[in-house]
Amino acid sequence: MNLKHEILLIEDERNICNFIMTALRTHDYKASSAGNASGGLSAAASGCPDLILLDLGLPDMDGIDVIRNIREWSNVPIIVISARTQETEKVEALDAGADDYITKPFGTSELMARIRTALRRSTLSGVVSAPAENRYKARDLVIDYDRHIVTVNGTIVHFTQIEYKILTFLARNAGKVITYDTLITHVWGPFADSNNRILRVNMANIRRKMEQNPADPQYIFTEIGIGYRMIDNENLE
Amino acid sequence: MSTTLKNCIVTVSGLTAATVAAFLFYRYVSGNSGNISLIYILALVTIVRFTDGYLPGMIASVIAVVCVNYLFTYPYFELNFTLSGYPVSFLGMFGVTFLTSTMTANMKEQARTIAEKDKLLSETEKEKMRANLLRAVSHDLRTPLTGIIGASSSYLENPALLPEEEKIAIMTHIHEDANWLLNMVENLLAVTRIHDQSSTVKKTDESVEEIVSAAILRLKKRLPEAAVNVSVPDELLIIPMDAILIEQVLINLLENAIIHSQSKEPILCYVDDDNATVTFHVKDYGIGIDPERLGNIFDGNSYIGNKESDSKKGMGIGLSICKTILTAHGGTINARNHAQGAEFYFTLPKGETHHES
Repeated sequence: MNLKHEILLIEDERNICNFIMTALRTHDYKASSAGNASGGLSAAASGCPDLILLDLGLPDMDGIDVIRNIREWSNVPIIVISARTQETEKVEALDAGADDYITKPFGTSELMARIRTALRRSTLSGVVSAPAENRYKARDLVIDYDRHIVTVNGTIVHFTQIEYKILTFLARNAGKVITYDTLITHVWGPFADSNNRILRVNMANIRRKMEQNPADPQYIFTEIGIGYRMIDNENLE
Repeated sequence: MSTTLKNCIVTVSGLTAATVAAFLFYRYVSGNSGNISLIYILALVTIVRFTDGYLPGMIASVIAVVCVNYLFTYPYFELNFTLSGYPVSFLGMFGVTFLTSTMTANMKEQARTIAEKDKLLSETEKEKMRANLLRAVSHDLRTPLTGIIGASSSYLENPALLPEEEKIAIMTHIHEDANWLLNMVENLLAVTRIHDQSSTVKKTDESVEEIVSAAILRLKKRLPEAAVNVSVPDELLIIPMDAILIEQVLINLLENAIIHSQSKEPILCYVDDDNATVTFHVKDYGIGIDPERLGNIFDGNSYIGNKESDSKKGMGIGLSICKTILTAHGGTINARNHAQGAEFYFTLPKGETHHES
């Protein structure tokens, strides 16, 4: 476990590149960088990094295509770096196979948290029958997957089947943003109406059952225009 | 070229339609050729209305006279201009056409001038708005930039001489100013989402509580020590809006409340559900708003000539952007003082509620 994780940064802005590289090195990651998509793709193929940070606005190739290209041969976690107002682009990137995104500008601590989450998820998925996977815990919330029981502060909370399905899907992907479409497809099947009104109604019910204040949630956060993100599983720390 | 083609098409189809109508009328209703002339005159007026210039109308009237003569007057299918009174009907038709042509040409010309004037007017209006915004923006941007440049250069010029805590103070200052700039730029970006021509936004159905919670989350990221008491109605509210823009409005109002109220009391943020509208309130317990400024607080230039020269104290652009956003949504925004501080509230229409299974 003492092996340094290798992170590849694909970013064309030199200033941003410098700042991220410094941050990565001070946090004890082995970092390399590429200034354009073609350089990044070959570095990804030859270097086999543990994680890729990808800027969507590259000069020589569309960032979405870079993700698709990498996904053809690798499951390496990809975190997309993008500007705030491009929701459609973010959704597209996530649907193309990116694991997460971070919005410019961001602080070092936020970036490191995302990297840790993504790395942990990728190491976990490689382990067969990881022991922590039958239980989710964050703050006062515990989900027991085997017994289908959800407790908040030790009290059992009852959910409908649909609500439980939504909740557990988010919990199993905790820390990662799940797009509306992904969630709808998982819960209602691939031919469900992509209108997310019914999802919102269910989410409102879930929040009323387990959040103290639905307007200031502790467990499930809304990423406007994109989807939902559930707070990280503490069991995996 | 295309006008000629259009004129031809309108003329030919108008005359054809008239001929068909006249034929049906003649055949099935009555054999009076006076009514036939009326049908042709109607067709002529229509043709003149929808073509440009005098020529089509003139040609059409000649054809119409010939048609009446040839098809609907005895002897049929022969031209006979020797019938008594014929020159009168010929001249009459010609006169009608000429007069209508002149009138419609005039009308069209007038409509064009009016439209042009309107366009010019709205363009100067827009130009004026743009210039105002630019002036306000550059004014507001210069202050933090001066701070950043000054602080960083004082660090770069003699890093060895500065004590450690001074360095940290400089960096904190730069960090704060940069964050403020970012906030500003995000506001400006928000405005670009409003379409220039129609001043409308792309609305989707959004859940009110999610917008509120997302705004609070982003606010806490920027100002971690911010204290906000937030509540939403028990019933889920879904209303059409541009979520990013409304989130921006909420953040602007919350941030204003925190920065300008000069009070550590938690800010109150709540949502009221009325029949046709939803109202968002942001209430602080601070010094309130200067009554003199209440009237034009959303105008965007209320900081000009203000006693506080520090532009950070001016809420100018943020609030005027809130106003722009709400106007584009068909909503309203207002400010008032209550007993213990200031309150901003904005209202969004619920729109048509659709029920889905």
